[in-house]
Amino acid sequence: MSLGEYLSNQGDRLLGLVVEHAVIVAVALVISALLGVSIGVLVYRTETPRRLALQVTGVFLTIPSFALYGLLIAPLGLGAKPVVVALVMYALLPIVRNTVTGLRGVDTAVVDSAQGMGMGRWRRLWRIELPLAWPVIMTGIRVSAMILVGIAAIGAVINGPGLGKDIFRALARVGTPTAVVQAVAATLGILVIALILDIGFLILGKVTTSRGIRD
Amino acid sequence: MTEAMIRLEGLTKRYPGQRADAVEALDMEIPDGEIVVLVGPSGCGKTTTMRLINRLIEPTGGRIYLEGKDVTRANPDKLRRRIGYVIQQVGLFPHMTIADNIATVPRLEGWDDKRIRARIDELLELVGLEPSAYRHRYPKELSGGQRQRVGVARALSADPPVMLMDEPFGAIDPITRDRLQNEFLRLQSEIRKTIVFVTHDIDEAIKMGDRIAILQERSVIAQYDTPEHILSNPASQFVANFIGHGAALKRLNLSRVGDIDLEQWPTVGAQDDRAGVLAALRASERGSVLLLDSERRPLRWLGARDVPSDDGALDDAGLPADAMLGLEATLNDALNQMLQSNYAAAVVVDPEGAYLGVVEFSAVAKAVQRMRQEAVDSARAAAAGTHPRDVVPA
Repeated sequence: MSLGEYLSNQGDRLLGLVVEHAVIVAVALVISALLGVSIGVLVYRTETPRRLALQVTGVFLTIPSFALYGLLIAPLGLGAKPVVVALVMYALLPIVRNTVTGLRGVDTAVVDSAQGMGMGRWRRLWRIELPLAWPVIMTGIRVSAMILVGIAAIGAVINGPGLGKDIFRALARVGTPTAVVQAVAATLGILVIALILDIGFLILGKVTTSRGIRD
Repeated sequence: MTEAMIRLEGLTKRYPGQRADAVEALDMEIPDGEIVVLVGPSGCGKTTTMRLINRLIEPTGGRIYLEGKDVTRANPDKLRRRIGYVIQQVGLFPHMTIADNIATVPRLEGWDDKRIRARIDELLELVGLEPSAYRHRYPKELSGGQRQRVGVARALSADPPVMLMDEPFGAIDPITRDRLQNEFLRLQSEIRKTIVFVTHDIDEAIKMGDRIAILQERSVIAQYDTPEHILSNPASQFVANFIGHGAALKRLNLSRVGDIDLEQWPTVGAQDDRAGVLAALRASERGSVLLLDSERRPLRWLGARDVPSDDGALDDAGLPADAMLGLEATLNDALNQMLQSNYAAAVVVDPEGAYLGVVEFSAVAKAVQRMRQEAVDSARAAAAGTHPRDVVPA
């Protein structure tokens, strides 16, 4: 069976999986962005918490995904929930690190003059530091998005949603006529999601960055 | 001395873990409407002292009074909105337009939009930037000098009684710096703010200050007086060393073009023909005349030989008159202009650029002589026990 035949045959079902896959990545990304930026904001000014946050999120990223999914079965069971938790853990490091780097890279003279004009701590953060660090933070989120699209596929081992299901099904039926084409189609679906997310974040980053600091 | 706008009482800062104070029990009064310059070698604590006033650094001892009220424990953010703040790096918010930068403090203070818009335009005009051209630009689209002007406009936005300026012209090329200093002095003559100005450059201190505080280590005041008195009567060897050589030349920074009598030069208008120019040349003892445009702005110097023999246009005869000075320029600026231009004279114009008169080299020389004499008299009077301030110059 050719890829074209497979797609015309299974296209609708495949599209459903693509949407499932994209949704679970998006949910995990939103949670990790909120969490990661918050952690970054809390730790960027103090040495010890900053190092601790980067080390812990760094360790998350080194756990093999199979192992992490397996470990999460006990507390969270099977399905989408443990997959989202695992994905959030994987996405944290790039977001926390880029938030810290972005905030620490803001020109001290700019922050000093904001303080000297009577802007309080939170207003300074919200109106000055975060907008100036934003391009760097967005890059972190974009990198995380790329990581998650791939790792989400492995989530199928604990019954997670998305294109991983088709890949594991194909692996289970290696040698049958449709196995290869099924795996290839699912992988292509993942690549398409990755591409769309990448371009989407590129545009989003441009649109949400002030014209005054765009290159 | 009028009512002190800022009074510092035993102001002290010691950083944790340090044995010595960074600022040691500083007493100082800063009079209303004056520019007080804090000057001293690097590491003397002048910037620390300035930042103690708006409490960007919290003092560990002593009191700060602003307009007679103790603000040592007041809400620091509210306090800072009443104190304009300009730093060397300017620190404009790069992601905001010029208008939004200037609107910062008025927005914090809850002004309505209409009032803020009017204030932005007023301030941009005040610092010499056309509002319609600059309002919507971003800081990166401006030159260093323009950014510094916006920095001053932003500091003035909510009309604070006090401004703190930390080496505001330090990062700007020398020619632009001179112009910005002169512009700022003209601005100050209109707005009459109380200004604390920090610099490490004694020449800038002499030029800008109504009063200068020369600071030693730990921000101890070596001398606090007018520039004239510091130049003529340094209080200690430290002050004398800090002023350095060439006190006579430094005095050139104290006299402004507006303070001396301007010479009048024969002028002709663009409508004058060849005969008119020649007549003007003959009627004067000077070897040249100054060609003015219809709004009396100087255009060119014309000598007898430059007048075209036919009745052609005068537009490109002679030499361009490009060395112009405002009334607020110092004699030092005037001398500079003369050395750079082709005549031993510099043209003085009003703020609109219209011709007022000419400063000649001999006038500068005479002013230097007079100032030197005054300084000698003042020093003699001081030696005789009379305070120089009481001596009426002859």
